Amino acid sequence: MPDTRHERFAQVLVDYSTHVGEGDLVLIESTPLAAPLIRALYRRIVQAGGHPEVRIGLDGAAEALLTAGNDEQLAWISPRLRGDAREANVRIAIEAETNTRALTGTDPARQAIFARSRAHLRDLTMERAAAGELRRVVTAFPTHSSAQDAEMSLADYEDFVYRAGFLDEEDPVASWRALGEKLGRLAEWLDTKKELRVVTEGTDLTVGVEGRTWIPCDGKENFPDGEVFTGPVETSVDGHVRFSFPAPHAGRLVRDIELRFEGGEVVEARASEGEDFLQGMLAMDEGARRLGEFAFGMNDSVREFTGHTLFDEKLGGTVHMALGKAYPESGGKNESALHWDLVCDLRRESEVHADGELVYRDGEFLPDLF
Amino acid sequence: MSVGYKTGVDPRVARLADLIVDYSLELQPEQVFRIDGLEVASPLALELYRAAIRAGAFPYTGLGLEGTLELLLEHGSTEQISYIAPHQWEEIEELDAIATIWSELNTRALSRVDPAKHSNYLAFQRRLHNRRWERIAAGEMRWCGTLFPTHAHAQDAGMSLTSYEDFVFSACHVDSENAAEHWRLVASSLQARAEALGEAKELRILGPDTDLRVSVDGRTWIAADGRYNMPDGEVFTSPVETVTEGEIRYTFPAIYHGREVEDIRLRFEGGRVVKGEAARGDDYLKTLLDMDEGARILGELAFGLNYEIDRFTRNILFDEKIGGTMHLALGSAFTQAGGSNTSGLHWDMICDLREDGEVYADGELIWKAGRFLHEPVPSPAGVEAAERA
Repeated sequence: MPDTRHERFAQVLVDYSTHVGEGDLVLIESTPLAAPLIRALYRRIVQAGGHPEVRIGLDGAAEALLTAGNDEQLAWISPRLRGDAREANVRIAIEAETNTRALTGTDPARQAIFARSRAHLRDLTMERAAAGELRRVVTAFPTHSSAQDAEMSLADYEDFVYRAGFLDEEDPVASWRALGEKLGRLAEWLDTKKELRVVTEGTDLTVGVEGRTWIPCDGKENFPDGEVFTGPVETSVDGHVRFSFPAPHAGRLVRDIELRFEGGEVVEARASEGEDFLQGMLAMDEGARRLGEFAFGMNDSVREFTGHTLFDEKLGGTVHMALGKAYPESGGKNESALHWDLVCDLRRESEVHADGELVYRDGEFLPDLF
Repeated sequence: MSVGYKTGVDPRVARLADLIVDYSLELQPEQVFRIDGLEVASPLALELYRAAIRAGAFPYTGLGLEGTLELLLEHGSTEQISYIAPHQWEEIEELDAIATIWSELNTRALSRVDPAKHSNYLAFQRRLHNRRWERIAAGEMRWCGTLFPTHAHAQDAGMSLTSYEDFVFSACHVDSENAAEHWRLVASSLQARAEALGEAKELRILGPDTDLRVSVDGRTWIAADGRYNMPDGEVFTSPVETVTEGEIRYTFPAIYHGREVEDIRLRFEGGRVVKGEAARGDDYLKTLLDMDEGARILGELAFGLNYEIDRFTRNILFDEKIGGTMHLALGSAFTQAGGSNTSGLHWDMICDLREDGEVYADGELIWKAGRFLHEPVPSPAGVEAAERA
C-alpha cells in the first residue's frame, strides 16, 4: 500500500476513477496548493503508461482578466484550452483554492460573458465524455480556504476529505464498488417514476422525470462521490424551493436562495446575500432559469455541511438541483453556459413522494423499495 | 509552499513585467502571448499577465509544477519521455510572443537523473524549440527569457534572497523607473559596437593560460539588447568553424544542465578542440565533447558588457553578460550571425578578462582589462550620466 494519503488518493484516482492506460494524454488541472497530490498523480500516471500534463492556474489572473480585460479578451480562448478540450483522454481536475471568495468584487455580467464564451468547450468535453473518448474526474484537495469555509482546522478538514472518499478504509475501491451497486439499484427503481415531489420547510416542489435516465455516481466523475442524478423534464418543474445550504459559485457565495418555478422556469428568485449575483446568473442565457439536474446525495461518510459543493451535494440526506446545462447521458436537454448546483437539506421534517407515494423521509429512502 | 506572496508586490517585479511586455516583446493588441515557467515564478507571471491585459493582448499561462520533470525522467519509458502533445505544435504556430521565466525551486533537481534519458528528452523538445526559432527568425513571433529571483538562485549565487533580488533587478535596471529608456540607449551603443566589430577579421584573446585566435571574417555581430533576454548586454557572433587555434582557460566554472565543470582548459587546432581537461568534472567534459561532430567546434564568441552584473552567480542568463568577460560556446552556432556549426550542444563558457585580459583585432589592441579602448561602450551608469548631461 502507498505510504501517504496523497499516494493512496492518487492511486484510486488513476487506477479506479479514470483507469489511465498506455498512451493516454492525461491533464492534471489544479493550483499549486495541491502540489503533493499533483506529484503523486504525475508519478502514478507515468507508471501506468500515460502522458501526464500539468495545468497550473495562476492565482489572480482570473480577477485581472475580469476586472481589467475588454470583452474580446474576456471571450478569447487560448489554443491550449482548445487543444485540451479536443485532445485529452483523461482529465483530473483538483479544486484547491487559495481564497474561495476571490471573485466577489467582479461584475456578474462580465463573469457571464466569460462563462458563455467557454460553454462550447464544456459542451465538447461533455460530448466526448458521453462518447467514451474522455474520462474526467473532479476532486478536491484540502486547503486552508476550504477548511475555513467548513469552519474546521486544516487537520480536521483533511480527515473529513479522506473519509468522504473512503480513503481511510482498508480497500477504498471495494467500498466504491459496493456503493455503486446500491446506487445502481436505486437508479433503476427511479427510472420507473414519472414525478417527484419534495416537501420540507420552505419547499414544496414537483419535478417531472418521466422518460429520463437516472445515473449512479460511484467515484468515476466526482471524487468523493455518492449520488444519483437525472435531468428533469424541462417544462415540468413547479412550486417553490428553499436551499438551506449557502451556494458557492464562481468565486463567491450566495445565501438563502429561494426559487419559485412555473412550467419549468424560475419566475421568482431571492437570496439574503448575493442576490445581484443570483439574478446575474439567471440572466446568463435562456437555459439558466431551468433545471438541468436533480439528484439525491447518498454518501453517508459526508455528514456535515462544509460549504464546498463537491462534498455538500453528496451529503447523505440531501437533494440538489442545478440551474442550467443538463448532462446529455441523463436524457436532459437543457442548454446553458451555467451549471450551478444548489443543495437542499432533507434530514429533518422532510418527505419525497414519487408518483404520489411517500418514498423518502427525513433524509432516507424507506426500506425495501429497491 | 509559496502562499503569502500575492500581497504587496515588489514594484520592481511590476516594472520588470512592463519592460518585457512593452520593450522586449513590444506586445500589440490581440497578439497571442504565453507566459511559461514553473509555479515559483507566479508573482512575475501574474504581473506579465496584467501588463499584457493592459496592452490589449491575449495572454495565457503555461505554468508547470516543480518536481514533475524528474518523475517523468525517472519513471517514464522512451516513448513517454519523447512524447509531445499535438496541441504543442499548434500553439507554436499560433503564438505571437512567449515569455519564459527560468526560475526554479531547486536548481539541482535533475542531478541524479540518467543523463542519457535527459538528453533524449531534450532532443525531442528541441524539435519544438527549433520551430519556435524558425518563426522568430522569420519575424513571425517574439520571445524573451528572464528570471524571477528565488532562494534557489540566491543560494547558487551565495547570496541572501534580498541581496539577490537587488542584484537581479539592478541588472535589469528596473530599480529605476526609466528602464525602457535605459535599454534603448544600451541598444544603440551595443549596435555601434557590433558594427565596429564587424570590421575585424581575426580576434586574438590573451589572458592567463589563454592565447586563442578566432576568425570572425565575414560574420555578423549581433547586439543583445534586452529583446530576447532580460537582463541582457552582450555582443556576439559565431566564429568561422575551421580556423580557431590556440589555448583557453576558463576561470569560472562552466555549468551545463546543472552540473559544474571547474577550471576547463581547451586546445584548438583547425577549429576543433583537440585537447580538453578540467580540474573537476573532467569525465563530464569529455562526454559532452563527444556528444556529436559539432560539439568540439565554437558556435559563439561574445563580449559581456552589462557592468551592473559584476559577479559570477552560477546562472548563465547573468554570467554571460558580466561586464568585462568573454564567453565562447562550444556547439551550435547562430545562423543569423552567419554561423553554420550544428550540434546538440550549446555550452557557454565564461572567461574572466577583467584583470589581465587583452583582445587584439587584426593585430590591434581593442580591449584591455575588461573594457574596449576606443568608442567605449558606455556603462549603464555612463549612459545615465550622458542622458543627464
